[in-house]
Amino acid sequence: MKHFAGIDIGSTAIKIALIDREERLVASSTCPSGGQFHRNAQEAFQRLLQESGMERGQIAFVTATGYGRKLYRDADEAISEITANAVGALRAGAPYGTVRTIINIGGQDSKAIRIDGDGNVVQFAMNDKCAAGTGRFLEMVARNLEIDLEELGEYHVRLDGAPPTINSTCAVFAESEIIGLLARGYSKEEVVAGVHYSIARRTVRLARRVGIEEQVYFDGGPALNHGLVTAIREELMRDLIIPDIAQITTAYGAAILSREVWAAEEGGAARTAE
Amino acid sequence: MSAVPQGGRRAAVLAQQIRESAQALATLEREFPDNPAAMDYFYKLFHRVYCEGERAQPEGTLVGTTCVQVPDEIVRAAGGIPVRLCSGSHAFDQAGADFMPAKSCSLVKATLGLLQDERPAWLETLDRVVNLTTCDQKKKAGQMMEDLGCQVHHLEFPPSKDSEPARAFWRASVRDFVRAAERMTGGRVTRTSLRESIRAVSRAQAAYRRLQRLRAESPALLLGKDAFLVTNAYFFDDLERWTGAVDALVAELEARREAGVSAALRRAPRILFTGSPPVFPNLKIPVLVEQAGGVIVADETCSANRMLNDAVSVDEWNLYDMVDAVADRYLKPCTCPIFTSNGDRLRRLLDLARTHAVDGVVYQAFAGCQVYEMEHHSVSRALAEAGLPCLYVETDYSPDDVGQLSTRVEAFIESLRSRRRRSR
Repeated sequence: MKHFAGIDIGSTAIKIALIDREERLVASSTCPSGGQFHRNAQEAFQRLLQESGMERGQIAFVTATGYGRKLYRDADEAISEITANAVGALRAGAPYGTVRTIINIGGQDSKAIRIDGDGNVVQFAMNDKCAAGTGRFLEMVARNLEIDLEELGEYHVRLDGAPPTINSTCAVFAESEIIGLLARGYSKEEVVAGVHYSIARRTVRLARRVGIEEQVYFDGGPALNHGLVTAIREELMRDLIIPDIAQITTAYGAAILSREVWAAEEGGAARTAE
Repeated sequence: MSAVPQGGRRAAVLAQQIRESAQALATLEREFPDNPAAMDYFYKLFHRVYCEGERAQPEGTLVGTTCVQVPDEIVRAAGGIPVRLCSGSHAFDQAGADFMPAKSCSLVKATLGLLQDERPAWLETLDRVVNLTTCDQKKKAGQMMEDLGCQVHHLEFPPSKDSEPARAFWRASVRDFVRAAERMTGGRVTRTSLRESIRAVSRAQAAYRRLQRLRAESPALLLGKDAFLVTNAYFFDDLERWTGAVDALVAELEARREAGVSAALRRAPRILFTGSPPVFPNLKIPVLVEQAGGVIVADETCSANRMLNDAVSVDEWNLYDMVDAVADRYLKPCTCPIFTSNGDRLRRLLDLARTHAVDGVVYQAFAGCQVYEMEHHSVSRALAEAGLPCLYVETDYSPDDVGQLSTRVEAFIESLRSRRRRSR
């Protein structure tokens, strides 16, 4: 049976999604991008195939997306992660409601995307050349506070009362601002929450630029951080859809595009041949 | 004035400028298939001037200009040779950063960087500069140019253009400039010399408009990266030879049209480019747009369309009438965002979008250029009302944001394609 793959080679992590002809997610994986995008992506793909007991020949079409999409030469097609994210979010969000706005926070980008009912991108906005409000920023904060990235959410919910305001919009200045707060005796919980609200304010401003409609879908690695999710919910003043596949939505979208392109091209050719 | 280490650093800046120019030319020339043969003139010209340091213009006193609103016709009529100094070099941008605040415009910084000692060979003797009092950064940069040893004429420009006082002020300013130009060159502006220079410049503009009309064709006959190179050459090329080279390009494109040869796919999304000007070697965004499969068919920038679209219109060929006519040409059609109100820019954009069957607009703002950054709001609103998608990109001359920008540009082109499919 034919399967289809989407490989999202991000600045921080490589995400792979395999789907069947009915667009059901059959397997997925996440691993760090490291220094050699191409080799790491190849290995991760091989590993996923092995784990799910499949041969390369069963994968009819591979679409690469993400920052490293052009370096991955084993793909049949490369597409920007904004288009792939839109397609993935529309499908993955369908059980929860009508997705029209997507917020994505990645390793070095944050994006807001507005889509139409078919998953076409109507408008999008992205942070300009700056790491504030991205996954890198969260990594930097975790390192400074000597806690694990995965613990940020826990620290946030433990907070009692209002967090300090972090004003800096630059990751480098924010770092010194955070050190300043710690020096003034603020707890780690307070700083973490302050950082989350600062990212939330930036992200929501980005989303307002594209226009917020219907349900808002939040994906990317940082969507797994429930402290940040809480902060964005409050700033947005509406509910968010957080999918089970938050980190692999874009890879899933790329896999769906694989199936669509395959159906239009080779699937069509096969039918004509019959 | 340069001490030894300083001189060493400057030589390194110049070497870096040559390297980035050669790289940019290689991209423009080799990464796109099937360039028109007439573009060879321009590729070679840029190589000679930017990489070899050769002068393209004939003998005569070079007069540097730092803005599209400096009346070239008057410099030429006084016997000078205008050369637009607005630089697109990242190397010069870094060198100019010594003089300017960190968050200032790359173009202004690069122009200051270019004027420091150890310049490209052909600009070594340039010491006369006309600086327009347009945006704040250019105003203050003009003063710094004096510190760098240049003799600067500060040509005073009004902050609005629709009022009668503004027009009168500017006319008086241009009349003063006639005398200043004469002092700079030692020549005289006469009825004959001004008439000749107005005619020579308007022949060049007519050639540009013929080229621009061809860009309205579908499928596109010329890529935007080449069109920007052609108009950019006007900054420093010999006027008559430039006009001839544009005519040759027009003739070749007409022949290509008859033969059914196009520069882009029939369904390539057609882009209108606006905002901060792309100046060689910083053609980063235009190249990204066309590498992503779009084609730039028109622009509203001061390095191209705004510089060449409008000709001087003279009623009476008397000296004073001609000077006023030149002044009017440099004020009325100008769509620079420094003006208090700038409805003309919106009208020009919508007009270009209509005549060139544009699918979307790419708006470049150099980080630190407040007026372009601010006008982005009114422009996007007007474009949205007209149903035109717009990609706003804030950037500068450094190459380090290309990866991130390529994602945005590609996603924009992809969204224009899917929009077309839906409207089919």
